[in-house]
Amino acid sequence: MDHLDALENQSIYIFREAYRKFKDLAMLWSIGKDSTTLLWLARKAFFGRVPFPLVHIDTNYKYPQMIEYRDRMAVEWGVELIIGQNKEALCEGMHPSRGRFVCCNALKTQGLQQILDRHGFKGIFLGIRRDEEGSRAKERVFSPRDRNFEWNYKDQPPELWDQFNTSFGPETHVRIHPLLSWTELDIWEYTRRERVPLCPLYLAKDGKRFRSLGCVPCTAPIDSNAATVDEIIEELKATKTPERSGRAQDQEQAYAMQKLRSLGYM
Amino acid sequence: MTLNDTLRIVIVGHVDHGKSTLIGRLFYDTGSLPVERYREIERTCREQGREFEFAYLMDALQEEREQNITIDTAQSFFRTAKRPYIIIDAPGHKEFLKNMVTGAAAADAAILLVDGAEGVREQTRRHAYILSLLGLRQVAVAINKLDLAGYRRDRFHAVEEEIRRFLHSVGIVPSYVVPISAKEGDNIASASTRMSWYQGPTLLSALDSFSPAREASGLPLRFPVQDVYVWDRKRTYAGRVESGTIRPGDRVVFSPSGKSSRVRSVEKWNLPSLPLASAGECIGITFADELFVERGEVMGSADDDPPRSGKELSASLFWLGSEPLRLNRRYLLKLATSEAEVILSSITERLNSSTLEVIERHAERVENLEVANVTFTLSRPLAADTFEENPRLGRFVIAVEGFVAGGGIVREVRADGIGSRARVIRLHSRMTTEPDGNLVDLSQEAGPVEFDLSPGFIDRLGKGERLAIRLRTADQLEQIARLAYGHDLAFEFRRDGEGPKVVLFRLAAPSAPVLDDAGPVI
Repeated sequence: MDHLDALENQSIYIFREAYRKFKDLAMLWSIGKDSTTLLWLARKAFFGRVPFPLVHIDTNYKYPQMIEYRDRMAVEWGVELIIGQNKEALCEGMHPSRGRFVCCNALKTQGLQQILDRHGFKGIFLGIRRDEEGSRAKERVFSPRDRNFEWNYKDQPPELWDQFNTSFGPETHVRIHPLLSWTELDIWEYTRRERVPLCPLYLAKDGKRFRSLGCVPCTAPIDSNAATVDEIIEELKATKTPERSGRAQDQEQAYAMQKLRSLGYM
Repeated sequence: MTLNDTLRIVIVGHVDHGKSTLIGRLFYDTGSLPVERYREIERTCREQGREFEFAYLMDALQEEREQNITIDTAQSFFRTAKRPYIIIDAPGHKEFLKNMVTGAAAADAAILLVDGAEGVREQTRRHAYILSLLGLRQVAVAINKLDLAGYRRDRFHAVEEEIRRFLHSVGIVPSYVVPISAKEGDNIASASTRMSWYQGPTLLSALDSFSPAREASGLPLRFPVQDVYVWDRKRTYAGRVESGTIRPGDRVVFSPSGKSSRVRSVEKWNLPSLPLASAGECIGITFADELFVERGEVMGSADDDPPRSGKELSASLFWLGSEPLRLNRRYLLKLATSEAEVILSSITERLNSSTLEVIERHAERVENLEVANVTFTLSRPLAADTFEENPRLGRFVIAVEGFVAGGGIVREVRADGIGSRARVIRLHSRMTTEPDGNLVDLSQEAGPVEFDLSPGFIDRLGKGERLAIRLRTADQLEQIARLAYGHDLAFEFRRDGEGPKVVLFRLAAPSAPVLDDAGPVI
């Protein structure tokens, strides 16, 4: 069994544990490479089905290519798609110009919270990975959030031998992270092996490509000529620049990401 | 297994013995530290008016920077010429032992870090003991901060001897003991010029010699049922092959229900008729007959060591709960995919996890951070193996109010008094090599035993090797006599300081055994 097989099997095991243990599950699909890999793995775990709905939190500032890709794949894969949007905040003119931290918190975190409240989801699959940045490295596979969406990262119960903590209070929702042990390179190597169709923004056009997808005002493409998955893998093997360097909200202040995440950011 | 398979390593040891610095150094020396991360650490250190410290790479959370300790288990990634690595940083502080356990339980190998100036401390010993309870056997000891001890050979050897002695007492033989300075970079990626008296490998070449945790394909089949999907009128049993292999057509039996069937298909998505699945694979299985078994049942081969079950488990456990573990209380025990309500029916010994000192025998409770040898009584049978026979089915956690509060390994599975089935002892896997020869220790086996031999095992005795079997009861002699009778062996009964034992051997020319001055021949 090679490294990618081991990761795939681990993720499938986590999916099946969560599906067995929780009712009212949903999966967050950000349209990016990680959550699309996650969706692929869900189909593997359940023999081609996706037995829970997908949630896309649409901030209204996403690239049009992302929305086009989302709608096309949802039909092709026959998944149930719920689109969440914090309309109230958008009506009041929420925009990154009011502060990136404030905007992310309103449009993403609160947008998610509205959907959870409306549908009563108790468990959410998320495609975060430990190698993305420091605070994600500290996550557990099954990670509870309290009513106020807060993450108590200082006092997390132990998790060992695939025995996950699956009984939480009625006030909590649980975040389930099947990709926690994957790296950015693993995702791309798996994408290549499985031929997972990804959003075309990842592939270079006119010397630029996106390494991480987000909202138009806060996400910049990188200089790259990697126009195929093979070329992206070669590029990643050579780079020393962090993956999220094009994501403005991470760079604001030393602990921005940790603060966002303790408030419920994904 | 390909050579470039990722190795997951955990770095454990006492607080302030230099874990985070070592991790930063490993990143820097392998060229795995992104330039921007390096600058970010520089900037943070400058903002806080401190000297540059590698430790900040791992200590990504704000509170940790302020308190200067690692709180949770974090993972990071680096690469040598040989392969990629995942480092699981495990905190040294006593309060954070549950994070250390979480980290170490997922690792293939461990670096036990000891401060060369301070020597072995409380958490050094506790972490080493937990590594042994978690079944980790690939351990490299790094004796750090030798720059502060003038890179002296005698200092290194004094600490080396101290740690080796302790590790021996918990059953760990370190693969390497390497003198290093993480801060100055001695013996991490390249051999230190300041410790030319050391001829062994650098820490990185020591790591490169380890292998990813062995998969359990060679053991008997164990497939715990994880879930049953009934879609389009088809029943698919989902689960992961924990050990062994499974093929269509195999005759299988479930434990504890005893139900049996024949495998019709082994499936994955878009692969509805796999020829075989082996340890580690998540699959779906369909059966030839209408079969109704639940999650938690364990499927095994009907022909080759089917899974057993019992209503009494002896175990060694570590306790991380804030409330003590109490005698005669009910707990939820989770083993593979099964969950069982258990009563803690005996606490044979309660030990200090750092000193290994027995605090109390026949105790009433086990406190936070202690380890203990205990017995659980179950209301219904549970399928389990001993950890020694099959680690995947021989380890468990105890949950309190839904949260994991302790974990441990199964030492013995008893069926509940009368009619208990003999336990199969695989002589080849149970045998250890002691200074005075090969030994199989049955002194912990209270119930009836049977022996299982691998091909070629008896030939070794034919070539002049001897096998000593330490006894618990005289009843065990019958099986040994049968083994000798069936394989043309002789045996001697002896007694030494640790009690009675029997030594099996083959005489040069098969004939009646001769008297030996060590004792009478039976």
